[in-house]
Amino acid sequence: MRALIIDDARVMRRIVATTLHDLGFETAQAADGREALDLLEAGERFDLACVDWNMPVMDGLEFVQAVRANRDWRDLTLMMVTTESEQGQIVRALAAGAHEYLIKPFTPDALMAKLDMLGLLPTKELA
Amino acid sequence: MIDTHETLALSVVPIAQDLFTAMIDGEPGLLTPEPATLPVVDPVHAWVDIVGPAHYRALVVTGRATADRLARALLQMADDEDVSLEDVQDALGEVANVVGGNLKGMLPEGSSLTLPVVDVVGPTATRPADHEQPLLWRGDPLVISLWTPKNGEEL
Repeated sequence: MRALIIDDARVMRRIVATTLHDLGFETAQAADGREALDLLEAGERFDLACVDWNMPVMDGLEFVQAVRANRDWRDLTLMMVTTESEQGQIVRALAAGAHEYLIKPFTPDALMAKLDMLGLLPTKELA
Repeated sequence: MIDTHETLALSVVPIAQDLFTAMIDGEPGLLTPEPATLPVVDPVHAWVDIVGPAHYRALVVTGRATADRLARALLQMADDEDVSLEDVQDALGEVANVVGGNLKGMLPEGSSLTLPVVDVVGPTATRPADHEQPLLWRGDPLVISLWTPKNGEEL
């Protein structure tokens, strides 16, 4: 499976990527929503996008809205990974088309639990 | 009636400890509150502002050597690997971002969080912080401060 990690903080991209790699995902990274859209528009295909909310250039909510506006990307599962923890923000993201919501800080186990809920936890045996 | 300032102040330690336990140390107990602020050598500052109906600034200050260790931990670098200024900006900025974001989550809805700023020079302050929380991370000082504007002042 392929995952796109979208966060302006390299540390957060590294943390998410490490967990996903350990689970067998192939990953790509983007520093903002625009960079991520560029990858999708170039024909890259992903099963999952982990999306930060507060980013320069294009924020995570705008990215989710842009993805949901394009039928070619309807199979892309979107998970917000953000410090935005207000109920209203969570509702906005889910209403815009995000499938799941993970609040920072999080543990690798919390990320895996969300992937499990999304049916994206690979079934391969972990080393 | 809930005192928002006091609630936020009391939340700084648990938020920071959750962050360090989950994403930096992988185990609890390595970030502890201190009764008094210890001197920070060669400080690096990282801050975010909460703007909108509620207005706060969350500032994280630690020494450059500690910031380097934080960057190594967050970026999963080797102990002898050189840490760049960009690494420090990225790591300490994310610490401020997570602390500020979680504090914002305790405020009435409608505010937003600025992107983090990281600099060896801190934000201009004409008075002490409204709340200052000294901490020790693995024996090194780290301070988290909160400001909220008073009498129309600008942060």
